[in-house]
Amino acid sequence: MAQEAKPVAELTYKEASTELEQIIRALESGDMELEASLESYTRGVELLKSLRERLTTAEQKVSVLLADVDGSTQLVPGEPADTTDALNL
Amino acid sequence: MAPQGWNLTGGSAQQAGRRASAGAAQQPLPWDTLEAANRAHPSSRMGRVPSRAGARASGAGGAASGPASSAVPAGVPENAVTVTQALEFADSALKGIPMLTVLGEVSGFRGPNARSGHCYFQIKDDSSAVDCIVWRGTYAKRTFDLRDGLQVLLTGQFNLYKPTGKMSFVARSIAPVGEGLLRQQVAALAEKLRREGLMDEARKRRIPVFCTRVAVVTSLSGAVINDVKRTLARRNPLVEIVCVGAKVQGEGAPEELIAALGRAAALKPDCILLVRGGGSFEDLMTFNDEALVRAVASCPVPVVTGIGHEPDTSICDMVSDRRASTPTAAAESVAPALQELIDVLNQREQRLGHAFSAQTEQASTQLATSSDRLARAMTTYVAHARLALDAAAARPCLASPFAMVERRRAELAQTEERLARAATQMVERPHADLARLAERLAQSTTGLGSKQHALGLAATQLKAVGTRLLAKPQAELARAAASLDALSPLKVLGRGYAIAYGPEGVRTSAASFTPGDNLRVRLADGEVGATVTAVTPNPADAR
Repeated sequence: MAQEAKPVAELTYKEASTELEQIIRALESGDMELEASLESYTRGVELLKSLRERLTTAEQKVSVLLADVDGSTQLVPGEPADTTDALNL
Repeated sequence: MAPQGWNLTGGSAQQAGRRASAGAAQQPLPWDTLEAANRAHPSSRMGRVPSRAGARASGAGGAASGPASSAVPAGVPENAVTVTQALEFADSALKGIPMLTVLGEVSGFRGPNARSGHCYFQIKDDSSAVDCIVWRGTYAKRTFDLRDGLQVLLTGQFNLYKPTGKMSFVARSIAPVGEGLLRQQVAALAEKLRREGLMDEARKRRIPVFCTRVAVVTSLSGAVINDVKRTLARRNPLVEIVCVGAKVQGEGAPEELIAALGRAAALKPDCILLVRGGGSFEDLMTFNDEALVRAVASCPVPVVTGIGHEPDTSICDMVSDRRASTPTAAAESVAPALQELIDVLNQREQRLGHAFSAQTEQASTQLATSSDRLARAMTTYVAHARLALDAAAARPCLASPFAMVERRRAELAQTEERLARAATQMVERPHADLARLAERLAQSTTGLGSKQHALGLAATQLKAVGTRLLAKPQAELARAAASLDALSPLKVLGRGYAIAYGPEGVRTSAASFTPGDNLRVRLADGEVGATVTAVTPNPADAR
């Protein structure tokens, strides 16, 4: 990784996912210094772990975009979906 | 649509009628032969008019009644008419009705007849229904498709099919009203926008496979927004949802939706879900609004539509970047399911592992190769070096360092021997030579006796001559020697005189000495060294 890598926790899921794919492709290309490949592998494992965690602990984030009378908008937190399997009648 | 259709239809009698008419349409085409039948029985007017009683009697007696029967049964009143005559009356009465324009709902429509191309169905309102015929030519000129439940305006006249006494309305033109009209307008608008290119596949944008932020434009009060949230919560909770509320039907709905689209787009989400639950055609008309359709088409963010249920298609659906059949389907289409992501991660984990072990294997293979090469190179080098060393070690100077000395020693011994031989020869040869010479000398002295005698003689003579010659000089010399002896200083010294020498020679003056000077003193029989202790000049000589 040429540029200084961002801490994994600061990456969005998609960024982390994209970086992981790039790392794997770079490793698969096979023209990497051994030290660099070890570094990449470590980073890849870290990304993988973080991505897995995010998948297992993911919570839906919902917000509502409200329009004020003056035409400006305001983003307020909204209710996430109720995913309990109870019958909502 | 269907329930509404049923409501309009009302009672079961209506349904029965629909079924009956449907059944009639399948029977061997009574209407097709209507005009032909009129022509085929021109004689019916000329036939005897059977009496009502006759009709009753024939009904009771089972005898065939018809224009062919010439016998008028007894008791038939004069004013009785035949069925044909009755229908003639009815027919002329119907023909007296002017061209009508009838508003009704299409029912039992089954498309044009496969053989004739004519259409047979019913039109009805809440309490009545009538069979309806649209000839093939008229049907071909229609501007919209007929289907059950459609409100239409039919312009035409009644017609009576005498063989069955069935009355039909023959439509000469059809025009849509209400939903039918709306559909026609929608179709026209869709066609216009299609021609403008708004529906071209080429202008549709790609929706990201995994949208992480999605704006949902719909009514916030309906069940749809919850469906979307729940669908995404189950499928992929990583998708962030921004709800943007707007009215989805009725007055002002298109304007609100346009405004909501604008606000949603300003947030720059990955895509916008424009969704609405199912509803009647009129309910969904909002999504056929030209301004809204254009707003969807020109939205800077890709739009996914899910409007109504499966068969419903609005123009918004046609111009959107992706069309889903329902709001739920739309929500599902914006992100992969969690399990897919997990599968992808599993795959990646494997790939990562493989790729890395391939890397290390490659490196270690290289290392092994290098190590082999190094070992080979080293072995070769050492072997070369050993050969060189062995060659060097095998050189005589190192193999037997004394050999050189020995050789020299041998050479020296040889030389010594030669020297000895040479020395011996050098001594022996002169000896031999000398012996030979002595021998030759002895041989050569045999003639020497006479020469010896002559020589003795000559010697005696020479001696005598010599004595003679020397006598005078000898005497002179003796005289001179006596004189010289008398004059010799040594004789003076013999008398007790001495000569003093300084470093520069003879000194005659005492004054030339100073105490401490060294001097030699010559006496008659030798010299002595002396040091001056005192200088005392003679007073007579002092001046």
